[in-house]
Amino acid sequence: MPEAHERAPETGYYVYGVVPAPGGSPLPLQGIDQADVEYVAYEEVAAAVSVIALDRPPGRRAELMAHNSVVDALANATTVLPVKFGSIMADRDSVIHDLLAPSHDRFADLLANLAGCRQFNLRATYVQDQVLAEVVQSNPEIAELRRRTRELPEGTMHPDLVRLGELVSRVLEDKRDDDARTILDTIRPFALDEARRQGGGVDHLLDLAVLVEDERIAEFEDGLEQLAEALHERVRLRLVGPVAPYEFAGAG
Amino acid sequence: MTVQTTQRRGGGYLERPAPSGLADVLEIILDKGIVIDIYLRVSLVGIELLTIDARIVIASVDTYLRFAEATNRLDLYEHGGKDLTEVVGDLQESGAAKKVGGAVKGVKKAIKGGSDDDDRSSSRSRSSRRRQTEDA
Repeated sequence: MPEAHERAPETGYYVYGVVPAPGGSPLPLQGIDQADVEYVAYEEVAAAVSVIALDRPPGRRAELMAHNSVVDALANATTVLPVKFGSIMADRDSVIHDLLAPSHDRFADLLANLAGCRQFNLRATYVQDQVLAEVVQSNPEIAELRRRTRELPEGTMHPDLVRLGELVSRVLEDKRDDDARTILDTIRPFALDEARRQGGGVDHLLDLAVLVEDERIAEFEDGLEQLAEALHERVRLRLVGPVAPYEFAGAG
Repeated sequence: MTVQTTQRRGGGYLERPAPSGLADVLEIILDKGIVIDIYLRVSLVGIELLTIDARIVIASVDTYLRFAEATNRLDLYEHGGKDLTEVVGDLQESGAAKKVGGAVKGVKKAIKGGSDDDDRSSSRSRSSRRRQTEDA
């Protein structure tokens, strides 16, 4: 037990996530620098932490991967509220008094709500040439502007080019609305919650984090597989997960 | 690892990459999760790893030029490219083309300092034609 006034200045407690206080034997895991993951419990919740040397070079890939793999392992074994990557607290006392105690009820409620659920990340992108061909064909002004500006050297800023881009982006936006609705209609019966994420790029359609109950995952995947097949000429669907509920852990 | 990469029902049109590369992991965890009050943190590992510039780009000339260039790169007629009607086929038109939309939103991410190798996502997707998403 560290003395209150004699904290070792060179180490801290790296925090991976908040879990329900382990009842039996806690999950043995190794975190950043292969340090053993410990559980600092306060009433019904516990923080998964490991001792970390503070005198270190700036963060690296290995640290990010270790953080991710600890949170993943916790998510597979129990319910976890991931803590933002790179969070280090001074010591056990600080973990309890500055993190767990002030937010105990909120964490306990969130953990109860997320129990038995997993997050999936769905990204829908257009087959760009296919959808742009649709756009050109659907709008005579676009077709004409395209014909007029095709021979301009790349990097030119011609008013016709700006107009063309503006029209294309508007038509694409309408297409996105329509196609996103189709995808959301397929997902919503299985999803407890969803968080839409911003995406960029000409081929962007929809970027979504979805919360799915464990027992509905198979149905959810089947539904998406069918949708992916139906849309495959013009839309690609990419599903990552299950992952820990990063988007639903209450970012505040 | 419980990522069900091996289970493929149906025709395998749904891409199911295992999120193993740095880029995938970054996308999943970056800037997400419970935020511990900054004043209570001793330090922040890894902030130098990532310079993320995630701002909403309101419809701008630059954005429009990007769309225009993509449209003009389309190879619809030349070089043995497919005819437009052939490409579009029997796709239904949305009929919503006249609606004026709002601002185009995009997020630019600049992930810097990823000097490690093996940063690519190891997509086990069947779709070999899928190109790297560079702008997403």
